[in-house]
Amino acid sequence: MSEPEAEPHAALVLRPPRHRVDPRARRWWAAQALLTLSGPMLLTALVMAVLSVLFFPGALPWLGPLLLVVLVVPGLGYLVVMPRWRYAVHAWELGERAVYAAGGWFWQKRRIAPLSRVQTVDTVRGPLQRRYGLATVTVTTASTAGDIKIAGLSDADAEELSRRIGEAAQQVPGDAV
Amino acid sequence: MSTSHPARPVRWDHPSPPPRWRRLDPRTLLVHCGWMAAPLGSLALTALATGGRISARGWITLAVIAASFAVVTTLGLIRWARTEFRVSLDGGADAAGHATVRPDPAGGAAPGQYAATLDIRSGLFNRRLRSIPLHRIRTVDLTASPLHRLLGVTVLRAGTAGSGEGGGALSLDALAAPEAARLRAELLARAGSAAADGDPVLARVDWRWLRYAPLTFWVVGGVFAAAGSVYRVLDGIGIEPWKLGIVREAFAEFGTSALWVTVPVALLAVLALGSVGALALYVENWWNYRLEWTDGRTLQVRRGLFTTRSVAIERARLRGVLLREPLMLRAGGGALVRAVAGGLGNREENRKRSGLLPPAPRAEALRVAAGALRTPLPAASASLAPHPRAALRRRRMRGMLCVVLPGTALLAGLGAALTPVLLHCAWVFAVVATPLVLWLARDAYRSLGHGLQGGFLVARSGTFSRDTLVLQRSAIAAWTFTDSPFTRRSGLVTLTAAVAAGEDGYRIRDLAAGEAAGFAAAAGPGILAEFLVPAGQSPVASVDSRTFPGSSGGTQQG
Repeated sequence: MSEPEAEPHAALVLRPPRHRVDPRARRWWAAQALLTLSGPMLLTALVMAVLSVLFFPGALPWLGPLLLVVLVVPGLGYLVVMPRWRYAVHAWELGERAVYAAGGWFWQKRRIAPLSRVQTVDTVRGPLQRRYGLATVTVTTASTAGDIKIAGLSDADAEELSRRIGEAAQQVPGDAV
Repeated sequence: MSTSHPARPVRWDHPSPPPRWRRLDPRTLLVHCGWMAAPLGSLALTALATGGRISARGWITLAVIAASFAVVTTLGLIRWARTEFRVSLDGGADAAGHATVRPDPAGGAAPGQYAATLDIRSGLFNRRLRSIPLHRIRTVDLTASPLHRLLGVTVLRAGTAGSGEGGGALSLDALAAPEAARLRAELLARAGSAAADGDPVLARVDWRWLRYAPLTFWVVGGVFAAAGSVYRVLDGIGIEPWKLGIVREAFAEFGTSALWVTVPVALLAVLALGSVGALALYVENWWNYRLEWTDGRTLQVRRGLFTTRSVAIERARLRGVLLREPLMLRAGGGALVRAVAGGLGNREENRKRSGLLPPAPRAEALRVAAGALRTPLPAASASLAPHPRAALRRRRMRGMLCVVLPGTALLAGLGAALTPVLLHCAWVFAVVATPLVLWLARDAYRSLGHGLQGGFLVARSGTFSRDTLVLQRSAIAAWTFTDSPFTRRSGLVTLTAAVAAGEDGYRIRDLAAGEAAGFAAAAGPGILAEFLVPAGQSPVASVDSRTFPGSSGGTQQG
């Protein structure tokens, strides 16, 4: 394995992981968007529009389009686009020797960590996630840049997956360092 | 694995006497009083400046100092009396809840099989016993501030694997210098010493390297930082520099003088001052510098004039090296070397402790890097594969969008609103900044390179600091592929190698998307082989997972 070049492998590309996350994750991400970004933006636009109608009707001709462009369209766009985009990207797979997960939406991240390096497997359910029956599985390695996070799995899948990763990690010889 | 020098006498070679609890050095108490120097000094300065009259504020300060002295000394005394440590054969392991392994009586005990522990107990009411198996200790440093050195004591810090749980580092503040050296030898000798092949000393300081010092320090910025701290000190003791006659006169004269002479002269003065500061810093940091293999397994860096530092890195923890060439240093043909090692602490501590070589000639840096990794490094830059042209376009675009455009727009906008002079500044800025940005982008692109050399991955990037990373391929713990719609359109992807050392993640920016997977697979064998498909084949689409896919996991085959 000491050839100086990687060219013999140049013809290979990384395929996406096999399994998508639970479809309910779309609603969870939409709820998240509503709570953190879209909701406050739309609310601000609404309040400003109402105040303008009540007290400064003269400002409406320029304030209306401004609010539309700055707050309403981006807020709605984020709410509609982000969950679908995420759902198309987020995926995971448990291979024979490694865990593979894809995440993000605009900036996308695909990470592969070998099972021999797995240290812990955590399953986390936030209050919002619990409403939709979802869970996040986090696989940690000795390096913080090697931690794998699979968000939006159904409860049952998350449990099964963390159990299987635990088992597989034990069977694969390694020092976890 | 033969031993050329006699093995050190180690405490647990003689099993009969039970290890005694030892105390810290009583001189530690004096070290704790060191903080008083600054307030007392400034008080004395004030008294001098005001002719011996101490104001009410001064008396209050004095009273506070006295009270704090009493409290600190009492606490220090209690802590000193109640803190004890020992290196034990059986360890306090039972007390700490660790299951430890006795050494193999057959004699073939692998390193890391010893049950010996470093125990520290402390606390007045809640007695706390911390017990660390010696095989988990990765680095042992001795650090002494000028005050410590004055009193002949030093701080010993033992870093363990896994800085997250278990507290990471454990320090004994402070021990008598010879005892600290002895204890360190004890801690590091747990696995016996194997002979270092060849000359164990990799590098010593060479004062001709001083010529590189002004090329590293941010010379101008350093002067302003120093001026700022002088101002703060003066302000602290109640002197307002703006009201001093000398300063005001100087400013008045500066204003009336011929500016085309005085401004360059002032700049030159700042540069000269900065260079002197950089030289002083270099001498302080790297006095008595020595990089050596103390035994076959431990790489040790010793350095420092007033504050002496000594960092020992276990060979198994040394995952690679980073060759750094900041812009100016590179122009002068110099480079510096850092270790990529685990157990050096968090990011900030890692930056302070990972230095292996000060700014020195590039050839020397390459030699030291090769010596630290114990592998011949072929002229590292020669065989690196370049990145696609799209990476160059990306760098140019980024420079134009982030520097030239906003700067010009801002100046032009202000010019239109305020004064036409700024309009001229705007076009001058655009004309000057554009070629500079394009040149930097080109340099950044030419820096990019990656390759595999034997057991190591080599990746180079950066223009303000061109960094060449040489990383053990076996240390790569995970691979991450990052892209965005922009990079996807230009066919680029950024790879991140995760390692449990140094800065944890090391990026290889803007690789060709088609080659990245192959390179990653070749560098870290076995990590991602099963997820690769030939480029022409349409990629397998992800499927829904409403039910757990039982067949695909293949977990049965270990």
